[in-house]
Amino acid sequence: METLRFILNGHPVQVEDLDPSTPLARLLRDQLGLIGTKIGCGEGECGACTVIVDGKAVVSCLYPAWKVQGARVETIEGLKQGDQLHVLQQAFIEANASQCGYCSPGFIMSAKALLDAHPRPSREQIIQAIAGNLCRCTGYYQIVDAIELAARRLAGEENGTRPAEEGQGRIVP
Amino acid sequence: MNRYIGASVERYDIATKVAGSRKYPQDFNMEGQLYAKVVWSEYAHARILAIDTKAAEQVPGVVAVFTHKDVPVNEYGIYLMDQRVLAQDKVYSVGDPVALVVAENEKVAARAAGLVKVSYEPLPVVTDVRLAMRPDAPLVHEERGTNILHHIPIRAGNIEEGFARADVIVKGSYYTPRVEHAFMQPEAGLGYIDEQGRVTVICAAQWPHDDVRQIAHALALPEEQVHEIVPAIGGAFGGREDISLQILVALAAYKLRRPVKLVYTRAESMRGHGKRHPFYMRYRTGATRDGYLTAVEVECITDAGSAASTSIPVLQNAASFLAGPYYVPHARIDAYTVYTNNILTMAMRGFGATQPPFGYELQMDKLAEALGMDPVEIRMRNLLEDGMRAVTGNIMRHGTGIKKTLEEAALAAGWRRTSAGWQKPDLGAPSAPHKRRGIGIACGYKNVGYSFGFDDKSEAHVELRLDPQGQIARVLIRIGASEVGQGVLTTLTQIAAETLDVPIEKIRLALLDTAVVPNAGSSSASRQTYMSGNAVMRACQKALEAYYEALRAEEGQDVITASYVYRAREMTPTTPYDPVTGQCEPHISYSYSTQAAIVEVDTETGEVEILRMVSSTDLGRVIHPANVFGQVAGGIHMGVGFALTEEFIQQEGQIITQSFTGYQIPTVLDMPRELIHRNVEVADPTGPFGATGLGETPTLPTAPAIIHAIHDAVGVWIDSLPATPEKVYRAMREMGKKNARRRQGG
Ligand code: FES
Ligand code: FES
Repeated sequence: METLRFILNGHPVQVEDLDPSTPLARLLRDQLGLIGTKIGCGEGECGACTVIVDGKAVVSCLYPAWKVQGARVETIEGLKQGDQLHVLQQAFIEANASQCGYCSPGFIMSAKALLDAHPRPSREQIIQAIAGNLCRCTGYYQIVDAIELAARRLAGEENGTRPAEEGQGRIVP
Repeated sequence: MNRYIGASVERYDIATKVAGSRKYPQDFNMEGQLYAKVVWSEYAHARILAIDTKAAEQVPGVVAVFTHKDVPVNEYGIYLMDQRVLAQDKVYSVGDPVALVVAENEKVAARAAGLVKVSYEPLPVVTDVRLAMRPDAPLVHEERGTNILHHIPIRAGNIEEGFARADVIVKGSYYTPRVEHAFMQPEAGLGYIDEQGRVTVICAAQWPHDDVRQIAHALALPEEQVHEIVPAIGGAFGGREDISLQILVALAAYKLRRPVKLVYTRAESMRGHGKRHPFYMRYRTGATRDGYLTAVEVECITDAGSAASTSIPVLQNAASFLAGPYYVPHARIDAYTVYTNNILTMAMRGFGATQPPFGYELQMDKLAEALGMDPVEIRMRNLLEDGMRAVTGNIMRHGTGIKKTLEEAALAAGWRRTSAGWQKPDLGAPSAPHKRRGIGIACGYKNVGYSFGFDDKSEAHVELRLDPQGQIARVLIRIGASEVGQGVLTTLTQIAAETLDVPIEKIRLALLDTAVVPNAGSSSASRQTYMSGNAVMRACQKALEAYYEALRAEEGQDVITASYVYRAREMTPTTPYDPVTGQCEPHISYSYSTQAAIVEVDTETGEVEILRMVSSTDLGRVIHPANVFGQVAGGIHMGVGFALTEEFIQQEGQIITQSFTGYQIPTVLDMPRELIHRNVEVADPTGPFGATGLGETPTLPTAPAIIHAIHDAVGVWIDSLPATPEKVYRAMREMGKKNARRRQGG
C-alpha cells in the first residue's frame, strides 16, 4: 500500500506499509502510541474509540485507517494546548463527568465534533450527539451538564451551575 | 475544620482521565512482549477426550500452546477452588478456557487458537435450577453428589400463627434474569517477570491481594513471588472481584520468561466473567386489615452457574434481605443456590441485595392494592427502625434511616401527608391519548462491609514528610483500595486532609502494587468508604499524635509514619447463620435507599418512558456530593437496564447475547428525563465522620419502582424482568382479554 499521510492533531504524519485491514483505532493506539483513544467493543457499538476525521465524529474501531489519507484527524491527545486543558476537558472535571474514565475520551470527542459544528447546541442536540456513546458509570447526567457548561463558556457566558451537586439531573430541560 | 468532608473537590485522578493520558491495562506494552489468545469451551457440558495442539504449534510465530498439563496446581476460586485454570477432564460451561495460545503477534495467536483441536464427548446439559435440584439431575460437579451448592433456612416466630393472624394473604412468583456487568474496559492483562524475578501481573482488579493468593496457589509459588499492579480500572461493578485472565498471563510469563499480553474482545469479556445471579422467588405475605405484616414466607433459588465463585456469600446476603426492610414477626425463608451449566454467577452491584426488592417490594404493592391502601402508607407502617428485630433475630442499630429515605422520596415525588395518611400525587395528563401515566415507589437496603462473622479489615500506612520548619509538606498514603471509578481515592484523600488538617493537594496515594501497599480488602460491598475510610482516618490520627510528640521532643525528624488496621468486628461483631433457625448478627452496617418512578406507557407498543425518578439514600454522611450524585445516577442507570432491557441470554448453555447489540444497556436516551436526588444523613457513629457506604443501594429500588409505576399506569404486573415492550404489550392484551371474558360471563 502507498504511504499513508494525514494530519494528526495538527501535525503531519506518515505511515509506511500499513496493513489495509488495520482500523484507525489500532493504528493510533498500537503504531502511533496514542492510547487515549479507547476500545470498548471494537464493533462500533460503544463510542469509546470516537475520534474526529475532517470535522466528523467517527468510531475509529471500524473506520479503516487507510481512509484517513490526506484527512485531518483529531484525537483526545490533541485537545490540550500546552498545559491548558480544552474547555470541554475542564468542564468534564468541574461537572464531575468522569468516573472510571474509560468512556470519557470518546464522549469528549463526540462533544467536540458537536461544538465545532454547533457552538450553541440545544439539549436535544447534545443528547443526540452522545446517543452512540455508552457509559456504565455515570448515568449520563453529569456528562450532559459538562457539555452544556463547555458550550456556555465557549459562548462567553456565565459559568452556570452544576446541578448535580444540588441533587438534580436533567436529560431534557 | 470540615473543609473537605462534604465538599465536591476535584476527583483525584480525573484530570488525567479526561486528558486521555491515564493508562488502563490494555495501554501497557513491553519490549519483546508476546500475545496470548484463549481457546474457549465450545460446550456447556462435555468430557474432554483429547486436546491436539500440534497444528497450532506449527503456525510460524507461535511460541507455546498451554493446556491443563502446564498448570502446576490447576485450580482456583475466590471462595471454593472449584475452577480450573485450563479445562482438564471436562468443561462445565462455555465460559471455561481450554487452552492458551501464545504467539509473537496477535493475529498469529488468533489464527492458531482456531487450530487447537479439542475432542469432546457432550454430556447432558442442565440449565434450569429446579430441574438441577432433582435427585436424578445430571451433576455439574459429580464429586459433590448434588447440584445444590448451599441452602439457608431462616425461621422466625411461628409461620402458621402469622398466617392465621393475617386478614389478607398475597402470593407472587418473581424472576430476575442473568445480568452482565458491561464495564466499558474489557479485561486485559500483562504478565512479566520483574527485575527481582517475581511474577508480575498488570490488570484491573477489585481485590488485588486476593488475586495474588490465587495466582500463587495455581503456580505453586510462595505469595512473595507474585505481585499484581493495578493501574486505572475501567469499571468493575463486581465483575472484577474474581480472577479472569490473571492466572493465564501469569502462567504464560512464568513459563516463557517473557512479557505476555492478553486483551479480551467484548464477546470474550461477556463470556469470560460471571454474571448477576438469576433469582427465582416465590412469596407468600400476610398482613392485617390495617396493613401490618404478620408473616412472610419465601422460597428463593439462585442460579450459581458452573462454579461456586461467591454464590454462597451472595446467597447469605440475599437470604438476610428477602423479607424486606420491614418488621416481620413470623418468617420462613428457604434460600438455595444451585450449580448449572450456565456461565458462573458472581458479585454484581448489590451482591444478592438487588434481586430481593423485586420480590418483597412488589409484594408490598400487591398487599397495598388488596387492602386499598396507599403504597407509602403501608410501608411507613412496617419499616424497620432502630431497636426493632429483623427476621434474623438481630436488633437494628446505628441509625436505621430507611423511613427517612421513604419520607424524603415520597415528598419529593409529590405525595401528601394528610390526616387520612399518605396520598399519591396527581400525575397530570399523558403526552398523547394512547399513553398512560403511572407512579411507583420502592425501598431497598443493603449491608456495608463483609458479613456473617467474616473478619473484615483494611490496613492503611501513612507517611508525613516534614519540611525543615517541621511543617507537614507532603503526605503519602499506602493502601490497597481499588479505584474502580467509584471515587475511593478522592474520598480517602478528603478523609486524610480533614483529619490531618492539611491542604488536600499535599496528599498522594501510592500506586496500587500488592508488593508495596497493604491489603484493604475488595472494592465491593459498598465497603471502602467505611472500612478504608476508617483505616485512613485512624492511621492519620496516630500519625498526628506521633507528629505532635516529635514536635514536643524537638527531635528534628523529617518523616513520621503510622499504620492502622481497621477491623470491623472490634466495633460491630457479626456472626454466621445458625444452621437450623438462621438466627445471627448478620451485618456491620447498612445503607438505605428509596426511589419513586413516574412513567408513561405507550398502550400501542408497550414501550415505557421514565419521565422522572426521585431518589433518596441514607449513606450516613455525605463526603463528596457530586460523587454521591454520580453513584446514584450510575446505580439508577443499572436499575433502569435491569427493569427494562438487560437480559444475558443463554440457550442450552450457549450464549445468545454476545455484544452491545444483543445486550442493551441504557443510552442517554433511555435514562429518566429527570432525576431528583435527596441525601439523608443518619450518621453511623462507627463510620468515618459518620459515613457508611453508597455504591450499591441506589440500584436496588429502581426496578421495583418502575414495575410498580407500569402497573399504576396500565394495570398489569410484570413479575419477570426485564419489562420489555413485548412483555408489557402482551400482558396488557392478556388483561384486556380476561376483562372481556369477565364482562361476558357476568
Ligand atoms: S470501541 Fe469503537 S465503538 Fe466501541
Ligand atoms: S465513566 Fe466509566 S464508563 Fe463512563
